[in-house]
Amino acid sequence: MRNKMMRKFATPLAVGAIGAMALTGCSSDSGGEDGTYKIAFQGPLSGDNVALGENMQEGVQLAIDEANAKGDLDFKLEYVAADDQGLPDKATTAAQKVIDDEGVVAVVGPAFSGPTFASSPAYAEAGLVTVSPSATNPDITKEENEYTSFLRGVANDNQQGAAWAKYLSKKLGLKKVYVIDDKTDYGKGLAKVTEKGLKDAGVSVVRKSVPQKSPDYSATAQDVVNSKADGLVYAGYYQDLSPFAKKLKEAGYKGVGISGDGSKDDKFIELAGDSSENWYLTCACTDATVEESTKAFSDAYQKKFKRPPGTYSAESYDITNMIIQEIKKLEGEVDREGLREALRKATYKGLTKEFSFQENGEFKGENVYLYQVKSGKIGYMGEVNSLIG
Amino acid sequence: MSLSEFWDYLVLGVMLGSLYAVIAIGYTLVYGVLQLINFAHSEVFMMGGYGSLIVLTLIDPGDNPSVAMGVVLVTVALLAGALFGGATAYGLEKVAYRPLRRRGASRLIFLITAIGASFFLYNLAGKLFGRDPKSLPDMYDNKNLFSVLGAEINITEMLQLSAAVVMMIGLDLLVNRTKMGKAIRAVAQDAEVAGLMGVDIDKVISRTFVIGGVLGGVAGFLFANLNQVKFDMGFLPGITAFAAAVVGGIGNVRGAMLGGLLLGITETLTVPLFGEEWRYVAGFVVLILVLMFRPTGILGERLGRAA
Repeated sequence: MRNKMMRKFATPLAVGAIGAMALTGCSSDSGGEDGTYKIAFQGPLSGDNVALGENMQEGVQLAIDEANAKGDLDFKLEYVAADDQGLPDKATTAAQKVIDDEGVVAVVGPAFSGPTFASSPAYAEAGLVTVSPSATNPDITKEENEYTSFLRGVANDNQQGAAWAKYLSKKLGLKKVYVIDDKTDYGKGLAKVTEKGLKDAGVSVVRKSVPQKSPDYSATAQDVVNSKADGLVYAGYYQDLSPFAKKLKEAGYKGVGISGDGSKDDKFIELAGDSSENWYLTCACTDATVEESTKAFSDAYQKKFKRPPGTYSAESYDITNMIIQEIKKLEGEVDREGLREALRKATYKGLTKEFSFQENGEFKGENVYLYQVKSGKIGYMGEVNSLIG
Repeated sequence: MSLSEFWDYLVLGVMLGSLYAVIAIGYTLVYGVLQLINFAHSEVFMMGGYGSLIVLTLIDPGDNPSVAMGVVLVTVALLAGALFGGATAYGLEKVAYRPLRRRGASRLIFLITAIGASFFLYNLAGKLFGRDPKSLPDMYDNKNLFSVLGAEINITEMLQLSAAVVMMIGLDLLVNRTKMGKAIRAVAQDAEVAGLMGVDIDKVISRTFVIGGVLGGVAGFLFANLNQVKFDMGFLPGITAFAAAVVGGIGNVRGAMLGGLLLGITETLTVPLFGEEWRYVAGFVVLILVLMFRPTGILGERLGRAA
């Protein structure tokens, strides 16, 4: 569309492009109508990761529709979509669009960590609160970032690593664990926390790094077997875990294997085949189709969208309801900054977990959920802390 | 590292090294006849991997293929890899390099073209086949066959080693004992004079590409069987194999084999000693050390003559 406009104006070079951008930026400015509050969702609604974005968007929509239909509100709610394609360079534009729409009082998202880094400064400046159901990079809440409008509604990556350490040492009682990261920021952060947690629990640790895309995982697999470790932690993604898991099986590794949300994907099973069997996987996301507390949500979701809820659908639903609860409490005195401060102090008991935030916007709980591959399926086991008991 | 552990890693190193050797031959052969570093060879390798994947997916072997079926599958996949690799290399020479040769383009232009062709091919593959990694379907139950000094050898390893050895011996015979090999060597020594003596240079160059491509394609299949298939799978093994060709003395086929084995073993032994993250560091330190003392590579005194 931007191309078409440029051609129409026939303005050469960049002037045309800037003009077109300014036009699209202003056009969405509708102003706040009396008694209507808009809740936006920022996440990938097109591009490679569209499936993940849609899961969350539909959770948000369901919450808004239900609240409107209930009829006990003295205001109306409207949904606004902001597509960032999951890419940092698209995120600033998406955020600006939301900020320029004066009716928007809160944002669910951004869905991914990269876009969160890119768009949070603008949200901070606008005083518009964003509550992310899924951005798990621990660095987002660092003080020096000054992302003053960011609240995290999910356990971060470090908490996932801590959960691994706890489960392996307390529940499974392992003596020696081989910890591998894939040299990405995500993997290194996870592995570091896990290593510390295991050592504190008195488990001996072999710590190694295997950069992504190793041509041959046989040697590392052999090293795991030779180390006589009874547990293996892989902090990385399924693309690399898959060939590695195969080589581990061939090398005769019989111990426990655990990996995180980077590997919790059906692709892992597709690529690794039999070798994926019995691998533990964790995620800060629950499985809404299995948990008792989300049964009603799951049915309503199925009815409305003709498919079961996906990753982070239920969490997005909860966060949206939390926002609605706080709008209600403000009783007509709703502005962006007021709502932000209200949410920062709020506590909300959602279907999936309890939501409340630390001073820096970090999530207060440590809800990490455990899954295990059984007969070629990622089976849900439950919340890690409750499994340990 | 105990002795038995050392054997484990040595065996794995020889496996990986034989794979590098087969890829390295592709670089060295083309360098022999054209004095060109064919950077697109890593994509020939990648296409071999996809070739075997496509054919195996078409056959769809199901969950537990019988032993006889397994043999058929491996053979078909290997041939598919060879075919795709050979066809890609043939096309590459025809479309990218031959027009340049006709116009007498400088070597730098050849090099840039090779890099361009590499980018084009792997992005094309990403577009056509998707950018997700894929696994070859199971062709057999990967059991341990026998053990050498305590190191277990499984079917995948045996397949990889035997295919590499057969191809290397076959190539060595082809280059040194046949008329075609003689023509390749003649073009490598002095293309102009070879042409005057009645050697069809175009044909020889084209065939050289196809031979290198077939080896690269089979290596692509073997690598896919070891790891997985991905549009950019050629990059790192390609660079390593190129280094192997240089270590051995580029232009020299036996040198490429030796260089491949040396790098494969070095890389694999690095993993238990220093960790996987030092893999390429160690490999390239070997490259630099060899070049410091023998700038032409280990067997490089016969530089300029293919084999």
